[in-house]
Amino acid sequence: MSEPILSVRNLKVAFPGRRGTLVAVDDVSFDIAAGEVLGVVGESGAGKSLTGAAVIGLLEPPGRIVEGEVRLKGRRIDNLGGEEMRKVRGAHIGMVFQDPLTSLNPLYRVGDQLVETIRTHTSLSETAARERAIALLQEVGIQGARQRIGSYPHEFSGGMRQRVVLALALCAEPELLIADEPTTALDVSIQAQIIALLKRLCRERGTAVMLITHDMGVIAETADRVAVMYAGRIAEIGPVREVVQRPRHPYTKGLMGAIPTLAGTAPRLAQIAGTMPRLSAIPQGCAFHPRCQFAFDRCRMERPERMAAGASQAACWLLAETAPGSAA
Amino acid sequence: MSTAPLVEVKHLTRVFDVSKPWLNRLIEGEGRIHVQAVTDVSFTVGAGETLALVGESGSGKSTVARMVVGLLPPTSGTVVIAGVDMWAPAEAAERQKLRRRLQMIFQDPYASLNPRWRVDRIIADPIRAFGLAADRAEIEHRVGELLALVGLDPSDGRKYPHEFSGGQRQRICIARALSSNPEFLVCDEPTSALDVSVQAQILNLMRDLQDRMGLAYLLISHNLAVVRHMATRIGVMYLGRLVEVASPAALFAEPRHPYTRMLIDALPDLAMSGRPRKPIEGEIPNPISPPGGCAFHPRCPLAFAPCSAQVPPLREHGARSVACHAVEAGRI
Repeated sequence: MSEPILSVRNLKVAFPGRRGTLVAVDDVSFDIAAGEVLGVVGESGAGKSLTGAAVIGLLEPPGRIVEGEVRLKGRRIDNLGGEEMRKVRGAHIGMVFQDPLTSLNPLYRVGDQLVETIRTHTSLSETAARERAIALLQEVGIQGARQRIGSYPHEFSGGMRQRVVLALALCAEPELLIADEPTTALDVSIQAQIIALLKRLCRERGTAVMLITHDMGVIAETADRVAVMYAGRIAEIGPVREVVQRPRHPYTKGLMGAIPTLAGTAPRLAQIAGTMPRLSAIPQGCAFHPRCQFAFDRCRMERPERMAAGASQAACWLLAETAPGSAA
Repeated sequence: MSTAPLVEVKHLTRVFDVSKPWLNRLIEGEGRIHVQAVTDVSFTVGAGETLALVGESGSGKSTVARMVVGLLPPTSGTVVIAGVDMWAPAEAAERQKLRRRLQMIFQDPYASLNPRWRVDRIIADPIRAFGLAADRAEIEHRVGELLALVGLDPSDGRKYPHEFSGGQRQRICIARALSSNPEFLVCDEPTSALDVSVQAQILNLMRDLQDRMGLAYLLISHNLAVVRHMATRIGVMYLGRLVEVASPAALFAEPRHPYTRMLIDALPDLAMSGRPRKPIEGEIPNPISPPGGCAFHPRCPLAFAPCSAQVPPLREHGARSVACHAVEAGRI
């Protein structure tokens, strides 16, 4: 437990453009330990997917990491060249995206795709790789794996495809799994199956998981810790129970209040006025201050760093007020 | 209005022909293929009420919505709104008048606004089409009123849709829907494309408008929590049929149909009460060849002999209706 699998420090992702540089991810730091699921939650444009893309070195140009570092088991990977990074990804990082069809080649049988991936990253023989592919498909809960291995992606349903993608991501026994909205395109009943599967695999194999989603329900169900992102920064990070039940940052509070609950009989949902700022117009000071009902002068001038708040950390000046001297 | 509900849907059925083109059928020696998207769906919506239809993809909920507003002719069954049959050829003139009283809000606010029209023209279009205003000044005044009603600035009318965010566009869609003074709004996944904080704004707005104007809603959603929050009654659909209809409180406190139970069990537990989440086994079957009898029986833990033989009818059990052999036999 001593060294985290993934360690991200002061990550900054920028898109240089003709009208100036847009900063999409700013000063993001977090660790993920072996066997831990870190949920990254936020609304569209919060920078959660870009953070994931930056970690695995798949930022679309002109976007690039301009500051900070990413370490995988202590080894710095953000400054690697394309070919070297490809090897690191293949051997150590698995990826699952929202749409399983974009991760699968429609012209190849799923078995061939699995075998190819396994053989690229391990020294197994063709037959051994095929056996391993079948074992993987069984592990992700595909019945009749031995027969289904010869099927094409279109012959699987959405939930089954996502299982295949998960098997593909696990081919090389990665230490880190990045799952970007893995259940968003699926129905609730299928979503529950995939989440249960993800949790089981992570526990059994000790894989570190970065789970990126906009769905707080999925996070509450799956993650050990959660990072809430707003306008490119982490607004709050902490143990999932703490963040869900006792949110400290006004944005997290608003977000939690805005989710209709099953028990809820409240006639109105709490609502946060306004919308997330555009990247070209992120307000000075705390990016959330124009929408924050507790904003005061300091929020408008100075950008808050993350401060301890119970078991969590939140970037909010209110915490500095209540606990003087704790400001970073 | 005292006796008849505003909307009355009876035995609505829709079959889609998904056959290949005739030459392919000829060469491959295949027959026609039909999908039974909606089967024998009946419900009513009273004035000021919200009926929500929930279900997973392929359950036929959007098809019902499209038949109710008149965008898609049913294969059989009737839709009667305020005494006028939506699909009877004899009532064409009446139906034209009915169109004013019924509007629709769609899921994707990016696709449902004309990008080349200014917002004021978009909102004024129904007013002009139904001749609801005497002159331009009145139209302008009314558009300003509507924009203010949905929480936008009257000066926003001069802008184009691309200048607005998703949530604001959905507000524009609502303003347009309200411009003809409707009594009944059909909302097909109105917040599915929106972020949660924006979803809360739109749901609150829909609630406020309902309280203020006595609107009736038919709300189509896959999100049980949204439905729980908005509905006065909830209909759960599975593979084209209504399997349970009940009030939100009753449905969530004590779901009767095994599918409803599984659906509620499968929800992520935000309260983190430690309730174990039970994933539903299996997947929705292919609607082209649905299982015989009750369509849910292959996934149902309580299935017994009659389930695979006969389709259970939707029967009243106290204040709710359930279509399940096991419930009828007293097994649940």
